[in-house]
Amino acid sequence: MLAMRRAISPADCREGFLEMVPACIGLAPFGLVTGVGAAAAGADWLGALGMSAIIFSGAAQIIAAQLFAAGAPLAVIILTCFVAGLRFLMYSAAMAPYLKPLPPRWQNGLAFLLTDQAFGASIRRFHATNDARAPASRFLGGGLALWIWWQITNMAGFFAGNLIPASWSLEFAVPLCFVALVAPLLRDAPTVLAAVVAGFAVVALDGLPMKLNLIVAGLSGIAAGTLSDLSRERWTRR
Amino acid sequence: MDATLKLWFVILTVGLLNYLSRLSFIAVFARTSMPPLLARALKYVPAAMLTALILPMILAAPASAAPLNPRVAAAIVAGIVAFCTHSTLKTLGAGMAALWLLQALPASIG
Repeated sequence: MLAMRRAISPADCREGFLEMVPACIGLAPFGLVTGVGAAAAGADWLGALGMSAIIFSGAAQIIAAQLFAAGAPLAVIILTCFVAGLRFLMYSAAMAPYLKPLPPRWQNGLAFLLTDQAFGASIRRFHATNDARAPASRFLGGGLALWIWWQITNMAGFFAGNLIPASWSLEFAVPLCFVALVAPLLRDAPTVLAAVVAGFAVVALDGLPMKLNLIVAGLSGIAAGTLSDLSRERWTRR
Repeated sequence: MDATLKLWFVILTVGLLNYLSRLSFIAVFARTSMPPLLARALKYVPAAMLTALILPMILAAPASAAPLNPRVAAAIVAGIVAFCTHSTLKTLGAGMAALWLLQALPASIG
């Protein structure tokens, strides 16, 4: 108990929670559409809640729902979601040094709350300080805000998604949320190449069954980015 | 397999794999440093995987009289805003506003 009280400061936790409110507003349409997607894939409300509460990743949930509706085999669904989730490895590695002072129990709990948005909001703060406690507490607060809001918006989308007029084109909010994540990354040549190769591949291979184009395109983009990064380094060293 | 069972298998497996990915370097491999080649490759996962995911959503055109898919133009506007502001809310606002405007235009001209 004592270790717990020392590890987390309630004031910072509350601050992190409140700080996440603007991002939550932006994620509302994304959560709604993800809930609609679960309904369209034929999930019941418990299955939809399971997706948002346990998978807790918009990209993986959208992919799973799309592939599920397309009748893809389990192995393809799981593999595609796994590759999309590999970005968490990167976030995990970036967060690890800052979470090291915390007790393992807290590390295990905070890891579950690691999402694109929570990572983006906290990593800059970790960089700025030597004491991990305050940013970790804020991360906990922000992560909890995101998790709770994600359940609310997913369920709202599942139950009331059909009340939203089609003319609002709310489903367009999903690619926009990912554009908000990807566009700021496109600052160096290998990353641009990774995106361009993946983009071309996913369109060119549209005819592949079971939405295999998604994973093939993703892996091609990763390979293209990595190779151009390696060759660029070799070139500049000469 | 029963569809409900299949869905729960996906939920639990993907949930577990996602959690292990999140936990990986925080706990499981805490004592090892990431192999340099893996670190390099992982840098390109978001750009590649998320682009592959969103591009078909942007190119999927609902029946429309517009010569150019308004979603492509709206996504470009959103991309510029995202690149400059790093803000999800502003990206969303600009992209949706651009889409609504472009969808309304052909109707008012025609």
